Amino acid sequence: MLGFSVLILLPLLSALFCYFVKDLRIQYNVSVLVSFSHLFLSLMVFLGFYHISLPTFFSYDSLSKLFLLILSNVYFWVVLVSYTYLKRPVTSRALEGKKYYFSLLNFYLASNSAAMLANHFGMYWVSVEATTLSVAPLIYFYRNEEALEAMWKYLFLVSVGVAFVFIGILFLTLSANGTDLESKQLFFWEFIHNATQLNPIWLKASFIFIFVGLSTKIGIAPMHSGDVDATSNAPSPIAALMSGSLRLTALLGVMRIFQIITPTSSYEFAKMILIIGGLLSLFTAFVFMFKVNNFKRMLAYSSVEHLGLITLGIAIGGIAFIGAMYHAIYNSITKVVLFLSAGNIHNRFKTREVSKVTSVLNKMPKTGWLFMLAYLAISGIPPFGIFFSEINIFEGILFSDKPIVLIFVMIFLLFIFINMGKTIFSMLYKKSPEDSSSAEIEPFDFIHLVSILLLIILILIAIASPDILNQNILNIAKDFEIKL
Amino acid sequence: MSITSRVKAYVAVLQFQGLILSVLVILPFINNFSIFGIILPITLLLVKVFLIPRYINKIILDLDIKRVIEPTIQQILFLLLVIATMIIIFLTSSVLAQSTELDVIPFASGFSAITIGIYIIIFRKKLIVHVCGFLVLENGIFLFGTAVASELPVMIELGVLLDVFVVVFLMGIALNKIRSTFEGFEVTHLGRLKD
Repeated sequence: MLGFSVLILLPLLSALFCYFVKDLRIQYNVSVLVSFSHLFLSLMVFLGFYHISLPTFFSYDSLSKLFLLILSNVYFWVVLVSYTYLKRPVTSRALEGKKYYFSLLNFYLASNSAAMLANHFGMYWVSVEATTLSVAPLIYFYRNEEALEAMWKYLFLVSVGVAFVFIGILFLTLSANGTDLESKQLFFWEFIHNATQLNPIWLKASFIFIFVGLSTKIGIAPMHSGDVDATSNAPSPIAALMSGSLRLTALLGVMRIFQIITPTSSYEFAKMILIIGGLLSLFTAFVFMFKVNNFKRMLAYSSVEHLGLITLGIAIGGIAFIGAMYHAIYNSITKVVLFLSAGNIHNRFKTREVSKVTSVLNKMPKTGWLFMLAYLAISGIPPFGIFFSEINIFEGILFSDKPIVLIFVMIFLLFIFINMGKTIFSMLYKKSPEDSSSAEIEPFDFIHLVSILLLIILILIAIASPDILNQNILNIAKDFEIKL
Repeated sequence: MSITSRVKAYVAVLQFQGLILSVLVILPFINNFSIFGIILPITLLLVKVFLIPRYINKIILDLDIKRVIEPTIQQILFLLLVIATMIIIFLTSSVLAQSTELDVIPFASGFSAITIGIYIIIFRKKLIVHVCGFLVLENGIFLFGTAVASELPVMIELGVLLDVFVVVFLMGIALNKIRSTFEGFEVTHLGRLKD
């Protein structure tokens, strides 16, 4: 029970606590404590030092262990910088947003952990809907028109999407009619073990509904719009949280149904759909990057791109699957650095428009350099991890039965790299007439420290490539019956 | 519901749907009564017949929303679309029922409600009507669920209901804010976010 208490109950209690205690400092301390214990426990579980026992409807396997650790890690750093972020002066309207910030954040942690650890489709559905509920008010943090519209669109689109997932789950129940699974509970593992008995037509329908529904949350094109609006208008720590962990929570559901479908005759069909979804996301990001005018939106589209790449890797299988799992880790960490730096820039220039942001390197050198490094990291420049995971994905695609896909992926990624670089370098270097040429001194704040630490972690994971992580990812591949 | 032009009528339909669903869920318990089994129908009744419709009515009153729904296509066209869709759904499900065990009536009606909910969201302008469309969709799913005879545990069913209620609650709050920020509550007002 200790595991369940720390991972789910404690964040819930702390959410309640933060709701009633008004002092921001106390809220922050409690939240950091909760997130640290969450991170510590999920790390212990991941390393295999500690085995937790969970109540019915919850259990964990290699996949949920990895995703839980990613969630925990992203969440911990985001909470850590939140106080610095909240101390910044905001408009009087946004003051109200601060009151509920930590409470919602804790609720976010609880619901996401529940979704990661759920082993029952019903439980997973309830938790995923709860994650939407926790994050929607956080999107509305700034209390302005754009944020309101983004919140409404996110809430509505994702709720309809998640309703579709429920239809998909019902189809899955239908597919089990007349098999050993009939009138049994919807546990993942039972479906995975008896997958071959399932009725293929209903299984296909179920896959489509679950994939399309969760796409609204993962940000897979063409269902990405609500997600992009939300990510680009939410405060930076929340955007980092959404890009780094919320999308993975939704991806987990798609992976579960994909795992069920893998041994059946519908496998090729599902694979094709995932490949199309992945390529379409890359294409959407590719088109968008030609006409960027809002830098946070650019980062949101970068998330669409990378989640597309991960989906593609999962679909292709083989070494690409391994790459996709690594990519999920690296992407989550890099996105935190990117969004935090973008938040610093937004705070200084008070605008998200690229054309109004000039000579960042002169005005705020520390943030500027970190932003550039994070850009290089996300574009797959060594020694940052994404270089290695992308190589894996490319290799997997090249030696799969669909090597033609690689040409498209390469072209899309190349142009995304060039266009994103053009935008970012114009923000960093371009001078407007009223800018002074002498460099200003930017005080070193906590957010810089966290960004540097995260970049170091990113490089360390890539260079050291810990054996236990590798083994865990191989175990996931084994669960998905992937031949290496 | 497809051709009505009053927002209030939607709420009444929602209430009625909620009542039917509660009755459907309560039917199996008439012969073998159990305290535990009665929790779900009672919560369902409470949420779908009383809480949500009341809440929506309150929003309509508070926001002083004009009573007419302002469709984007002609009413008669909408009605024809709905009829055509329902015919297709009923025909397909009776074909499907030959290969799998399926209760055609609840299955097809559930699915019709789901599609109509989506149509309402697509073809209507008022955001409050969108919320109603979403609820029709949810009701459809619930009905569809009874057709599939999936035995979701009560705890999870309650979780689903709670989630839906909170979603509607949040949407209501958002509508209030939209009213004070945009001076209107139609989709046409939401056009600031673009690529």
